[in-house]
Amino acid sequence: MLAMSDDSAVLSIDFLVGFTIFLLAFIWVLSIIPGLLIGLQAFTIDYDAVAYRTGVILVEDPGQKSTNETSWEIATFQQNYNKADVLRFGLAVSREDPNILSLDKVNRFFDNTTFNYPGDYHNRSIFGDYPYRFNISLKYIGSPESAKSIGEVLPEGYGYIRRFVKIKSMSNATIDGSNLTFLNNERFINGDNTTRTHIFSILLNNTDLIGEGSLVKDAAYKIIPGKESFMINLTYLNQTIVNAMNVSQENCFNISLNNTIVSDSTRTITFFDPIIDEVPLHMTTPQPVKRNVSILYNTTANRRGLNWEAPQITISLIFNLIPTGEPGCTMGSRFLNNTYTAPFDYDNNPNNVTQPQLRDAVVEVAVW
Amino acid sequence: MRSDGGQLYTIEGFAAALIMISTAYLVVNATSVYTAGDTHINDMQLETLGTDALTVMGTPMNTTEYDTANSTLRMILEAPDRDVMFRTKFLELVNSSGTGPKQDIQFVANYTCRIDNSDSTIPPLQPLSSSSRSLTGGEHPVRVTKWVIVNTPCGNETTRDRAVLVEVLLWRD
Repeated sequence: MLAMSDDSAVLSIDFLVGFTIFLLAFIWVLSIIPGLLIGLQAFTIDYDAVAYRTGVILVEDPGQKSTNETSWEIATFQQNYNKADVLRFGLAVSREDPNILSLDKVNRFFDNTTFNYPGDYHNRSIFGDYPYRFNISLKYIGSPESAKSIGEVLPEGYGYIRRFVKIKSMSNATIDGSNLTFLNNERFINGDNTTRTHIFSILLNNTDLIGEGSLVKDAAYKIIPGKESFMINLTYLNQTIVNAMNVSQENCFNISLNNTIVSDSTRTITFFDPIIDEVPLHMTTPQPVKRNVSILYNTTANRRGLNWEAPQITISLIFNLIPTGEPGCTMGSRFLNNTYTAPFDYDNNPNNVTQPQLRDAVVEVAVW
Repeated sequence: MRSDGGQLYTIEGFAAALIMISTAYLVVNATSVYTAGDTHINDMQLETLGTDALTVMGTPMNTTEYDTANSTLRMILEAPDRDVMFRTKFLELVNSSGTGPKQDIQFVANYTCRIDNSDSTIPPLQPLSSSSRSLTGGEHPVRVTKWVIVNTPCGNETTRDRAVLVEVLLWRD
């Protein structure tokens, strides 16, 4: 009897091998089909479109907070900064100023201690269900500073858009203690042989800066103390210790910064974080000052407890002169002090305050 | 099994697999078509780039410039060596990038002003600047424009405030 006949319902090994090879190839080809469809979607175009959309959102829109405000980059006076409040990133100064970006928004956007790649950025600037990977960068044109960037290293092929922008820099004022002529003309030096406590005040007049009658109409050039960083530098304070004849009494006293208070005329809070002699401090007790004191209100400065939209904000630095005990010195002296005259006006006069400048930069969005 | 049919089964399996794989390979490679949509995207990127560059150049840098309606673009157009200044500034802008690779964009720019007198021998088109390349006709340039108020002469007319149209053709090299 034959071992095997054609109708014996037993498969040969050869047939099994052949059929298995056929099946494996068939399955592999089937698995390619979804890839074929992706090719037909022309995904590079999609990436370019997403990059373009993100570019427009970042460059032409000021962003949005859950409270429907556009200043998502700073804490409000009611509460501390909470990134969950940010609905949409946008770096423009205002809706009326496309291509002009706020430095504070830029700094907050590229602050990877506040926001995490990719989740936080995807939900607020890229959008869509597809888990896009991306890189967003900003570089000042004609500057040696390296580019600020978030995201991953660029692969071979990606969709992109480049936008040229202007970045509104921070305004700042320097009250130069070595310029005694200016300080005396402004009557910013006061005191006599008994004065030991000196108060120097700076006035931020919101009515003039951002009110209806403001000389500067465009938000791109306005000083907006409640929403933007600003800095006040008092330099060479030691040179302002003089007697009535304007002769230096520098050796007679050590300078101490007792306190810095900020007031919106109904509330008063203490500013704890001055920069003294180039060292940022958190000040709870009076601190010695050799030469310089700077007050920097940036996005991280605590703005709680004060209405920054109030008509007038006053920042007062309270100094104390401590006698060194040198022979021939009196107990008090003249010093930087405008208690009895007018406060220093932080205004739109370029002689007093370095006004915001716009710097060229490029924003590049790459998506893949 | 004594027949030689077994041999045939294996060869058939291989043959079928080969045919399917080569078909799949051909199909996959045939679908990457450069569509009209792709060129549209490239044009859009160039147009955005050029418009942004002119906007940035035409934006006053500070309140002083804002109050006097001045800008980098206006200062360049009013300067005697405007060709060189425009080329330097424009190329610095359009060829700069963030983390992406360096770009190589070329341009041709000119500006047009209106001549009020009827002397038709004076061309209204004023040469402004040329890029490192001249336009040969083989390029695929994109056109961007911006109106600027400048205080310059036009043709043989005297200097006064006038609106001129700056026109830039730009393309990738």
